[in-house]
Amino acid sequence: MKLEAMAVTLPEVAGHPNRAPFTGVLTLVDEPSTKPPSGARGHRVILTRPAALAALPSLLGMAVDYAPSWDGHDARRKCGIITQAEVEGARLEVAGYLFAKDFPEVERQVRQGLPGSMGMSWELADAHVEDMRAEIWTLTRATFTGAAILLREKAAYRNTSFELAASRCRFTPNRLAPPQREHAGATRPLREEAKPAFPGTDRRKEPTWNRKRANTWSR
Amino acid sequence: MESQTGEYMVALSDRMERMEARIEAAASLFERAATLLEERENSVSGEVRKIVAAVETSREAELQKKLETAEQQIAELRAQIEATSEAQPGVQRQSGRKTVSASTAQFLAKQGIASLDSLEAGTLDAALGGLSLEQRIAVKAQLLRAGVVS
Repeated sequence: MKLEAMAVTLPEVAGHPNRAPFTGVLTLVDEPSTKPPSGARGHRVILTRPAALAALPSLLGMAVDYAPSWDGHDARRKCGIITQAEVEGARLEVAGYLFAKDFPEVERQVRQGLPGSMGMSWELADAHVEDMRAEIWTLTRATFTGAAILLREKAAYRNTSFELAASRCRFTPNRLAPPQREHAGATRPLREEAKPAFPGTDRRKEPTWNRKRANTWSR
Repeated sequence: MESQTGEYMVALSDRMERMEARIEAAASLFERAATLLEERENSVSGEVRKIVAAVETSREAELQKKLETAEQQIAELRAQIEATSEAQPGVQRQSGRKTVSASTAQFLAKQGIASLDSLEAGTLDAALGGLSLEQRIAVKAQLLRAGVVS
């Protein structure tokens, strides 16, 4: 399985009241959409893997928005930000923060709704279609301009998802193992490489050292 | 011997000329093919300004339908206006609504003219009888602008 990821670093703030970490599957690459997206003139679309990878940098820092009816985008209701994006297999996964204090209705909808009922949708600008006459449009180049949280059944890709972390914490969840990732641009590793074992000679201090290391990780 | 060499050279030269002509023709064909392929590529591929991975909602479809209906009505009204102006080229277009200033309307109401839709010349002159010449001219000008009298 090939996996590519990017992330932007935000300053860490313990117990931030307005940050609720989220993860989601934004779309599938190299697979046709379940339904024709809005603006595709009735064609279903395929976002190619190279196009998705090339567009990953444009996704970072983009907002997630929502519509009160949960059936589309409303660019004026930006309720969160995307800080990580990765292509894992066919899934383009994102993570970021929801502005939970400013948009309690979004947090309520996601937490109190049926499990798996919420999905995601991208917004693309300047998409290049390989063959406009094809039944299914193949997008070979595009720029992500945003994303939306919506009912999964309203998304053009049925297999998208959106989930909030169980509790608010300082880091967005990270499922990636460092050796598998490829980085580009102004990114940072999502997690530090494993530190060497206890370096000292006084073994009595080792448990304390390990505990401190564990605390560092948990933060 | 010399004549044989000369003939050979002439033949060689002819052959080279023919070959040059064929190469030129082939190059021309290649250029045309490249142009055609480029044109075909441009017509097949294309840019889309915005795509959103959400299905079009019924609300959008409804709004689209309303917009189409409104556009159709506008087109019909325009056609009607154009047809009217063509049928009566000398007649200035007037709106259906007849409005005058509040003071004029109040004055006319006092004189017993409540509606401006059907105003007879005699009634108007009688109503304006108590006014000075300037005032009568001013009121009539207003009524003229409003399209009440012509």
